Amino acid sequence: MADTTYTFPIGPVHPALKEPTMFKFVMDGEVVVDVDVQPGINHRGIEFIGMRRNVLQTLHLAERICGICSIVHQYAFTLATERAAQVFEVPERAQYIRIIMAELERLHSHLLWAGVAAHELGFDTLLHLSWKIREDVQDVLEIISGNRVNYAMYYPGGVRRDIPPEKIPRIKKVLDHYKENFQMLADTFLGDPVIKHRTVGVGTLSKKDAIATSTVGPTTRASGVMKDVRFDQPYDAYADIDIKPVIPSNYGFEDAGDVYANIVVRLIEVAQSIEIIEYALDNMPSGPYRAEMNVNKVLMMLRKADGEGFGIHEAPRGEMCHYVRLKENQDNLDAWKVRASTYNNILAWQKKLIGQQIADVSIVAASIDPCIGCMDRVAVVDSRTGKEKIMTDVDFHRLSVEKTKRLRK
Amino acid sequence: MDLKKTFDQALWVFHLNTGSCNGCDIEIVAALTPRYDVERFGIKLVGSPRHADVLLMTGPVTRAMAPRVKRVYNQTPDPKVVLVIGNCGTTTGVFYESYNILGPIDHFLKQIDPDVKIVYVPGCPPRPEAIIDAVAKAWLVLEELRGDNK
Amino acid sequence: MKVMNGDEFASYIKDRFGNNVLSMRVDKFKNGVKKSEFHSVWLRVDRSVFKDVMRAITEIHDEAHIAVASGSDLGEEIEIIYHLNLFWGERNRQLTVNLGVRCPKDDPHLPTISDLIPGALITEREKQEFLGITIDGIPDPRRLFLAENTPEGFYPWRKDEDQQEKLKKLYRDVHEEGV
Repeated sequence: MADTTYTFPIGPVHPALKEPTMFKFVMDGEVVVDVDVQPGINHRGIEFIGMRRNVLQTLHLAERICGICSIVHQYAFTLATERAAQVFEVPERAQYIRIIMAELERLHSHLLWAGVAAHELGFDTLLHLSWKIREDVQDVLEIISGNRVNYAMYYPGGVRRDIPPEKIPRIKKVLDHYKENFQMLADTFLGDPVIKHRTVGVGTLSKKDAIATSTVGPTTRASGVMKDVRFDQPYDAYADIDIKPVIPSNYGFEDAGDVYANIVVRLIEVAQSIEIIEYALDNMPSGPYRAEMNVNKVLMMLRKADGEGFGIHEAPRGEMCHYVRLKENQDNLDAWKVRASTYNNILAWQKKLIGQQIADVSIVAASIDPCIGCMDRVAVVDSRTGKEKIMTDVDFHRLSVEKTKRLRK
Repeated sequence: MDLKKTFDQALWVFHLNTGSCNGCDIEIVAALTPRYDVERFGIKLVGSPRHADVLLMTGPVTRAMAPRVKRVYNQTPDPKVVLVIGNCGTTTGVFYESYNILGPIDHFLKQIDPDVKIVYVPGCPPRPEAIIDAVAKAWLVLEELRGDNK
Repeated sequence: MKVMNGDEFASYIKDRFGNNVLSMRVDKFKNGVKKSEFHSVWLRVDRSVFKDVMRAITEIHDEAHIAVASGSDLGEEIEIIYHLNLFWGERNRQLTVNLGVRCPKDDPHLPTISDLIPGALITEREKQEFLGITIDGIPDPRRLFLAENTPEGFYPWRKDEDQQEKLKKLYRDVHEEGV
């Protein structure tokens, strides 16, 4: 289908935030009656490459699976490697630095998503506002790691660099700034009548479906499912913090699994992340930040190791897993499997999109926060005429904006 | 040749992801939002290559994308400049030995247009400042192509 | 749902399936300053009882969460490991179960588990195209990630000689003929 009718492959202003996934919709007029998701345009064969390199090289490769959730893959990969090798005793300070970085990542990722969601609704002022606020957390990440994206913080047996005490006041300043701005952002997203109209009851996912299809992250929590790895199976310093999964009904909203509930979950998680970072900064124990400082020694330890490990991390988009198998006297990984969060949410897409209006497709698709790449485009089949027409993201965005304008009148 | 004080006309750019990890792409978007705000220079992201003066390309070329890269290039009107953003697009970077990565972007562009004008922006990912700087450099190349050095 | 820790789960499966459980290991990891612990069970079962073990797991927890199935080429055999999370929903109660099953390369068949856990469909489709196994009874057997112009019979995660040859040919095609 799409091969022959290809028009052009990319979205307009925010191409970067789309899964490189093709949808095939069967339409009846304006309503979606069936949808088929066909990913793979952005497939880079990363596991295959990883099986030809040693662990420390793969660490950098893992980070480049996705630029938005970069360290998330590095975290899960590091956990899997440590559990496979079982030779590293991760220092307590390193465990705290790890979760600080993971939560900063969540802050930036959720704010980024908030901007995209606003854009998909045709609310570009809010997009620019969210991204303006997001730049502050980028500054913090740069102060800690030296880079705005791809922070290279995790390392088997600890972290690559410390957070020295003189940097902490600067981090706290940004967190205070966020606390001041949070209410304004929450009021705009949750109180605006047009956003409510466009999102309440749109793209619902029932609790039963969410459990059956093993969805993860905010997508599943918006349906009222208590799944959060930081809570179910606390790892590293998360074990010291009492984290509750953010379920809309605990905050006076409905567990509807619709786009509105997704916004609620992500916004409250921003506040939750700020709390976690503050706690971790205040309670960070002193001591070393890496079990073994000598790179060659680390490589030798990994070379001698023999075993398999499974690392799970709660990424901004949900549970993220890496499976690693190491073989004795072999530099490269014997087996590696990466499971990104969106992978488990593909089936939820299908449930969410069926029965939606074509103008709502872009916001519903964005509500699971797809993350790998940017090549989406959609073939629309009209079930009455059987005619196939390729719609691009531009068209969807136009339809979405028009619908918002109609509602404003 | 130096950059003039003002641009003659607004510069429209089209962004194509050829299999990138998103890192460069969010930096492109970051360049558009208030902190960097390139729209004040008249640099605008457009939704179709047919409207664009400059193509921003990110990422190594995957098997599925290779024919599409050429197609988008052909759809862009002359004169045009390609901006290859990030290490993966320039050299395929960390993905060099994959079965599904066919090569860096210029490999494909040179097949269809040996005189293609490319500005490379290395970095993983390059900072928004570097991207803005590269767009300005692309502007110089465009001026030369148009032959209107006033 | 009866909540078990790693050791209880391991002995339950061992009692029920006896010699068909080929190997078993319980990993325990301590975390944080308070050193709280969680468990992870690794077991390998014979292919003949694989579906029964999976059914037993869904009987223990009917809302079992499938994280992913990972696969690898062991030379003569192909191994698939199903990573499941059980007993989620309470603080520090989740048990990760890694259920491995092997099938010989000349008879690469495994039963589907998507009737027990519908969420397994995506990962089963992926295993088919990357390892060249057949999942019997899979509701949707199409390819998932590989591009349409990838040659048939090329399985990226296989490590045998003829796959390496096919791989070299793939590289050659690109560099000599272009795309």
